[in-house]
Amino acid sequence: MIEVLRAGRCDLVMDLGRPGWGALGVPAGGAADPPALAAANRLVGNDEAAAGLEILLAGPSLRFPLGGVVALAGARFMATRSKGGAPAWNETLLLAAGEILNLERAETGCRCWLAVRGGLAVPRVLGSRSTLLPAGFGGYQGRALRMGDTLACATPAGEMHLLRARPPVPSLDAPLRVVAGPQAGLFDDAGLRAFFCGSYRVDAASDRRGLRLTGPAVTHARVELPSQGVLPGTVQVPPGGQPIILGWDGPVTGGYPAIAAVIAADWPRLAQLRPGDAVRFATVEAEAAPAPAPWAIEALA
Amino acid sequence: MQDVRIIRRIMQNAEQKPPEIKLQTVQPAPAWRWLSERGLRVATGEATLARYAMLSAQRFAELEDVIPSDDSVLLILRRGAAVSPGLRAALTAPLTDAPAASGKLHEIVVEYGGSAGPDLSRLAERAGMDTAGYIHSHAAVEYTVAFLGFQPGFPYLRGLPAGLHAPRRASPRLRVAAGSVAIGGAYAGIYPAGGPGGWQIVGRTAAVLFDPQRHAPALLMPGDRVRFVPT
Repeated sequence: MIEVLRAGRCDLVMDLGRPGWGALGVPAGGAADPPALAAANRLVGNDEAAAGLEILLAGPSLRFPLGGVVALAGARFMATRSKGGAPAWNETLLLAAGEILNLERAETGCRCWLAVRGGLAVPRVLGSRSTLLPAGFGGYQGRALRMGDTLACATPAGEMHLLRARPPVPSLDAPLRVVAGPQAGLFDDAGLRAFFCGSYRVDAASDRRGLRLTGPAVTHARVELPSQGVLPGTVQVPPGGQPIILGWDGPVTGGYPAIAAVIAADWPRLAQLRPGDAVRFATVEAEAAPAPAPWAIEALA
Repeated sequence: MQDVRIIRRIMQNAEQKPPEIKLQTVQPAPAWRWLSERGLRVATGEATLARYAMLSAQRFAELEDVIPSDDSVLLILRRGAAVSPGLRAALTAPLTDAPAASGKLHEIVVEYGGSAGPDLSRLAERAGMDTAGYIHSHAAVEYTVAFLGFQPGFPYLRGLPAGLHAPRRASPRLRVAAGSVAIGGAYAGIYPAGGPGGWQIVGRTAAVLFDPQRHAPALLMPGDRVRFVPT
């Protein structure tokens, strides 16, 4: 059990999402960095797809009245444990009864994931425990956590060991890798040059539905396009020319020209972009796109 | 810095390198293009719903999702999966079974105008009608659900009379009420949930368009038919 003493900016219950409902207009959603949540789950002996918390920029203060086994992965936050010291990242943590885990602000990056042994026991909606905030369902009552909320944890099943995870080393300065989109032919040379050679900033009005970018305008033919299926990572360009990278909870169809799509291997980097960060793009061919990098898990010596 | 010529070449490759398919039928082959390394967009035109029904019924193991839209179907591959020969064949296989010619008919009761439909009078003026005439035209026809998108359960309805077509608002509203009956270009639609929205609002319905706890979460499904009934 977990008591929310203070809510963070946007703490959301997430698992690996609910793919398969796109025809109903429901995005797959789920953790913004699936390998990070999966690794945190493995550190506490859970199935990789168990529900944990996705924590954004400013974290919550959580009390564990019965103690618990937890793990943190993703962006490092300034954080304290009430019994003293700071919680380690990427390893199994044993919390004493009554202990308080206090996550303050992210030191770098944007999001971290907290896995709890057993997994968060919220009801499955359309097969998943992930919060779909724009539609108000899933997760904890379809919303972000608030002060006073109490989260139940499921009874753990598997064995548990003290483990450490080694995340893949991100290349933070490298451009985001994209596959050129099916409508890239609508863009003129100036538009292509702006997008592929320019540098963009992440706008403050970004969320799990989309990352809004500001920078060189991407010019394109002003044509009325039919709505077409899109997926997270698709980069759409509205008439104003400022690109939007569709996020995990973005719409399943879109009517703006798609210039490119960020490959899934770079979604973990999308998850860590915060307002003001710089973004550049580089093309890869669809068949040559690498898979998301795996996390190594080893015994905690 | 990347050379634009190189980018162009890569794009042309993306457009010209479909999964290898040999044409085996006399039907026009669908064109497909990679939207990303996991997303394959298949142009399906008038046969979109029939192709969608066929592809989703066959439950290909490599597919995570199949999403129909205006005139194409998006196939989302599972991580690391490749297009199987069976799926390749299904993309071009003839559509023998026409889909049920007409889906279920729904009557949607609408309160037109006033605070429920803040854009009605301006749209009526634009269309050269009085509001009563506009409502009559809007409710006189039968619509077909082309696909769902934007929000869970949001129907894109075909059949809006040409005189009622209207562009989206120049700046979207920050908050549109749940149940708002709206017009965006050539489409009519209904907002299942409250939230930001750029379509023109002509009325509101109390019908619950989407409820994830229902056996059938979306009230309106692709292929269904809709009639609006003024209160």
